[in-house]
Amino acid sequence: MKLRQSMAGLHTWGGLLPIWLLFVIIFAGTVACFDKELNRWMRPALHEPVVSRQGADDVRGWLQRNVTDELHAFWMHGPTAREPYWRLGWEVDGTETIHNVAFDPRGAQPEPMPETLGGDFFFKLHYNLHAGDVGMYAVGLVGMFMLVALISGLIIHRRIFKDFFTLRPNASGQRAWLDAHNLFGVLGFPFHLILAYTGVAIFVASYMPAAAQVSYSGDPMAYFGEVMGSYHRAEMHQPAAEPYSLDALIAESRRQWGGAQAGWISVHHPGDASAVVDIRQWDRSRIGTPQNTLTYDAATGELLNRQNASTGYRAYLWLAGLHMAQFGGSLVRLLYMLLGLCGCAMLVGGVQVWLAKREGRGAQGLGWIRVLNASVFAGLPLASLALLWSNRLIPTGLSERAVWETGVFVSAWLLVVLWSVLSRSNMRRLLRNQLALGALLALGLPVLNGLTTEAGHLAASLARADWTLASVDLFMLAAGVVCTACAWRLSSERAPAFSGASRVREA
Amino acid sequence: MSRSTSNSRWKLASRVLAALVGGYAVAYAVTAFLAVYLPLARPDRVVLSSLASFAVWTAVVIYVFAARSTTRTWLLLTGTTVALCLAAFLSGEWRARP
Repeated sequence: MKLRQSMAGLHTWGGLLPIWLLFVIIFAGTVACFDKELNRWMRPALHEPVVSRQGADDVRGWLQRNVTDELHAFWMHGPTAREPYWRLGWEVDGTETIHNVAFDPRGAQPEPMPETLGGDFFFKLHYNLHAGDVGMYAVGLVGMFMLVALISGLIIHRRIFKDFFTLRPNASGQRAWLDAHNLFGVLGFPFHLILAYTGVAIFVASYMPAAAQVSYSGDPMAYFGEVMGSYHRAEMHQPAAEPYSLDALIAESRRQWGGAQAGWISVHHPGDASAVVDIRQWDRSRIGTPQNTLTYDAATGELLNRQNASTGYRAYLWLAGLHMAQFGGSLVRLLYMLLGLCGCAMLVGGVQVWLAKREGRGAQGLGWIRVLNASVFAGLPLASLALLWSNRLIPTGLSERAVWETGVFVSAWLLVVLWSVLSRSNMRRLLRNQLALGALLALGLPVLNGLTTEAGHLAASLARADWTLASVDLFMLAAGVVCTACAWRLSSERAPAFSGASRVREA
Repeated sequence: MSRSTSNSRWKLASRVLAALVGGYAVAYAVTAFLAVYLPLARPDRVVLSSLASFAVWTAVVIYVFAARSTTRTWLLLTGTTVALCLAAFLSGEWRARP
């Protein structure tokens, strides 16, 4: 077999196998570019911009009053432009469970906001499919498939420059889909290659433990301690003294950094005499996050350690930062989102090429692939829209709101799967109806938002030039219009897109 | 006819296995080897070699499917893995030098 031929086989089958899971990962990652904006949209308490007057000690006070368990650690982050509120997380000793609370910035004292999955839901779906370690490894393996598909795709591509300027939407099904697959694949190639590589690189310590095993004899504390240049103090099993003010430590750290802002503040084994406070620097003007963490004794406030990260760790963080798109503001995130959408389009185009080619040969059993396509490519976006609807419709007083939102997301997706299975005899009508439903849900969201919120609807957000909040509604309007146009086109076209006639004509 | 089909199926299964398992094994061995022998400080050796592992795995997958003989592919993958792992894990105190 010639190289190109064997690579074509690798690209076809190695690409097809993970394509639905890859779509979930890329779609969720694309949405997660604006996770913090979605967080704000999904929490009506944040709609009107206010500056939180709460401090780190207030947040710790809330924790001490409301959580009596022995804690392994807790951590908090102060208000920023994109997240204008205090966030708190903690881990109870002996459990692996992490609890998170977000505080309403409007009050003088921290009060938790009504629960919601928020945009974080998509971020987590992106990196572990909400399936813990198993999900994280599955995502990593799919990432490797993506790398291989990208490289083999590059090898089989003869006329990469010429094909870039070729789109024949009115050609036969297979040709048009191949053009689309090539266009989006080539357009996004550098981006997809970098994002696939940096994506698997983020969890490198889990995916590839070889180096730590050989050079640190598999001792993770020694490994992370030396690579990150961080500080660790073993537990003394004695009760902790009265803690030092966190706000004072933040002020001291800012002075040490020459005025730079503080980010995550974490306290390790706060109930023990060995308790230490880590204060990290926060700077979104750099791709790699700054590593100037200062570690203090939690009781005396004595400075114990200045982080001294290795060059290797800084390089790693630069790669991770390139993936996470937290630098450079909305413009960078918008670019990432558009290229992410290119990735989704490339996947849809790719599987359509596979289908059209086999349909031309009269292959059997393709119906279930189409059902899978409809279930995933339409199911995930529709379920995501249903999630946003549920966020506005579930009463704010309900406890465990986030669980209800999850329920809506999962049932909506299952309903779309069932709908796709039942309508498999007429996929064209199914697609049209799914597009119409998508249009309805997307166009309805700004309306629902207007009916259920006081300061979050489009008229209010545009009036105060609050573009980050308005952008969610505006995006929904745009997506709704696109869906309407596609549904319209599908129903007005007479000849089916993949009719035998058009293929014969080309032959 | 059926014999040659089943033969080529075995060959394909062998290639898929070589790409997934053999590819990871070679990537693991190269990472361990570089983590010991790169002329850098220990944390930099470890991070650099770990980050390179995904490129190694990808390259092995491409090679496995491009190579003509599956037997020779398996021999090469096994030989590389064993040789590099031995060199890395039998390097004594030197592998943990700062």
